[in-house]
Amino acid sequence: MDDHDTLLTDAAARIFGDLCDKALLDAAEQGEFPAALWQTLRENGFHELGLADSGVSLAQAFAVIRLGGRHAVPLPLAEIVLANRWLGDGERLASVGRVVGDRVVDVPWGRSAELVLGLEAGRSGCVLVTPEPDAVARGCNMAGEPRDAVAIPAEAAAIALTEPAFEYLTLGRIAAMAGCLERVLELCLDYVNEREQFGRPIARFQAIQHSLAIAAGEVAAASRAADAAVDALDDARFELEVAAAKARVGEAAGVVAEIAHQVHGAMGFTHEHQLHHFTRRAWAWRDEYGNEAHWQRRLGRHLAALGPDRLWSFLATRG
Amino acid sequence: MLQFDRVKLPESSEAVRAEVREFLAEAAEHLERPNSDFTTGHDPAFSRKLGARGWIGMTWPERYGGAGRSFFDRYVVTEELLAAGAPVSAHWIADRQSGNLILRYGTEAQRQHYLPPITRGESYFSIGMSEPNSGSDLASVRTSARQVEGGWLINGTKLWSTDAHRNHFMIALVRTAPVSENRHAGLSQIIVDLKNDGAQIRPIRNIAGAEDFNEVVFEDVLVPEDRVVGEPGNGWEQVTSELAYERSGPERFLSSFRVFVELVRAAGDRPEPQLAAAIGRIGAHLMTLRRMSISVAGMLDQGKSPNVEAALVKALGNDFEKLLPEIARLALMDLPEDDPRQRSFRQAFTDTLLLSPAFTIRGGTREILRGVIARGLGLR
Repeated sequence: MDDHDTLLTDAAARIFGDLCDKALLDAAEQGEFPAALWQTLRENGFHELGLADSGVSLAQAFAVIRLGGRHAVPLPLAEIVLANRWLGDGERLASVGRVVGDRVVDVPWGRSAELVLGLEAGRSGCVLVTPEPDAVARGCNMAGEPRDAVAIPAEAAAIALTEPAFEYLTLGRIAAMAGCLERVLELCLDYVNEREQFGRPIARFQAIQHSLAIAAGEVAAASRAADAAVDALDDARFELEVAAAKARVGEAAGVVAEIAHQVHGAMGFTHEHQLHHFTRRAWAWRDEYGNEAHWQRRLGRHLAALGPDRLWSFLATRG
Repeated sequence: MLQFDRVKLPESSEAVRAEVREFLAEAAEHLERPNSDFTTGHDPAFSRKLGARGWIGMTWPERYGGAGRSFFDRYVVTEELLAAGAPVSAHWIADRQSGNLILRYGTEAQRQHYLPPITRGESYFSIGMSEPNSGSDLASVRTSARQVEGGWLINGTKLWSTDAHRNHFMIALVRTAPVSENRHAGLSQIIVDLKNDGAQIRPIRNIAGAEDFNEVVFEDVLVPEDRVVGEPGNGWEQVTSELAYERSGPERFLSSFRVFVELVRAAGDRPEPQLAAAIGRIGAHLMTLRRMSISVAGMLDQGKSPNVEAALVKALGNDFEKLLPEIARLALMDLPEDDPRQRSFRQAFTDTLLLSPAFTIRGGTREILRGVIARGLGLR
């Protein structure tokens, strides 16, 4: 990472850390668009991430998305970055969903988006929609993140994409999950060192230590898998690296969220505590853009087709 | 927070990989084992062939028979051998740790005496750490060595020494000074000649029916003065200094790899969705574990001491080595029992499952490793 890259991620971390507090996350979950956060990001140029002339590589944009996961940023950063990339328009707030019938569904913040890109099954086709407020049906995922359905008007423009859009979006979730899980582990470490029972911090109990050692292993695996998928952006096997990463990170998310809630006890089960903003996202994101089983199958079919004698060569890649 | 850097194997290491594959393609008579476990498969003829290729002690200086190769090159050689199920147990410990110990702490005379035969694949070492009453609590070892006229007099019992009945030497961790307040003080490492010094070696049958590990009893066994490795009393520092090398290698997550190969063979090229998912799940885990392991190799190459990261790779890898056969077993339930592919799968599965209890015990139990990780996380 060179100085320019560090400047970018440092700036993102500062803005996210300053503005994404519990109050903002709660308000966003009530459906309130985080306008002040978006304004600050715009003032700092983050709304142009993904544009060819933004001076920021796609890998760096994913580093920002990962930080977004770490802070539970209530904006569809991955969809914004990738819509910018595909539409070349950084001025209007864009989001992405998938076409089902005459609607684009599962659109993060479709209610606030000025442009919505609808991916069609298969990968090359998509439609561009400028949503009308009364043509948006509101919904949300289990983390309370808006996932809306947007009607496709008759005059919607068709666009051809040359990139593997679904896999790029999946990588967005992979990166965000890696950041999110790191934060969950940190919350656990802070909590068990503060919380006292039987006259000492619960961190001193071996049962707690071993649970968190397991969680740390899963978080480290998720982090390494996510890095590998980002590193494969220009690689011929990119889609298979995404498959491996989403499958692995998804498995990690389930384990880490479970342990995190256990060590937080009843405190972490309250809405007042911040833990759920991260664990519910980890749970929800497992199922977005294909769950573990979906990606395990894709990778597994490829490995089976390679057969027993070429299996190892595939696994023993350089990068 | 633990950090696993994005490390890419150097291009030059890929050249070694091609050489190893070519070598293995012509060594079919040595590749009949149904598992990838590094402690089974004692094949001196194979070890000598590896030695002739320069693939044992390959990171050591050329003046001791080594090849001066990088740690990454060694990584590639070892993972290729394990993935192929090659019989590596004869030279494994000598190559992985005994030779490194002698190179780092031994005298010049010891290096010249012990290292060249190791690199030729002719001299094999066993570990002498555990005892009947000292397992995870290694500092409690009671085997003693007392300095006497003409050398050191050893008394005590070492346990679980893999291949001590076949190998030439053991490096025994012994107490050379009485227990003091610092229980890590007063320990030393001494080379024992298993063929000639008079130690009594008794193989212990394991649950797989094999006799690989041993009890080694010392009753007034006298070894010459020049067998102590390093400074007397420095044993604890020495045994812990190589932990990152011992714990992060590919042998910590590939032990059941042959089961995966047989699963893929049995599944055929167009498996139904559940079976494909099982294959993909295993593949995703292995790809990630391997990258984490290579991240640690990169840290070692930079001269760091990533002991916590290595413990984490081993803990995660060992648990997965155990999970792999379980995933595979249930995934193949629809393949008829009498299908020949089911038979070759069952052979690898049974062989590996019976070895699997050792995966999370040897080289640091899962429980010890979790303690190391917890300390790294600031919990103790």
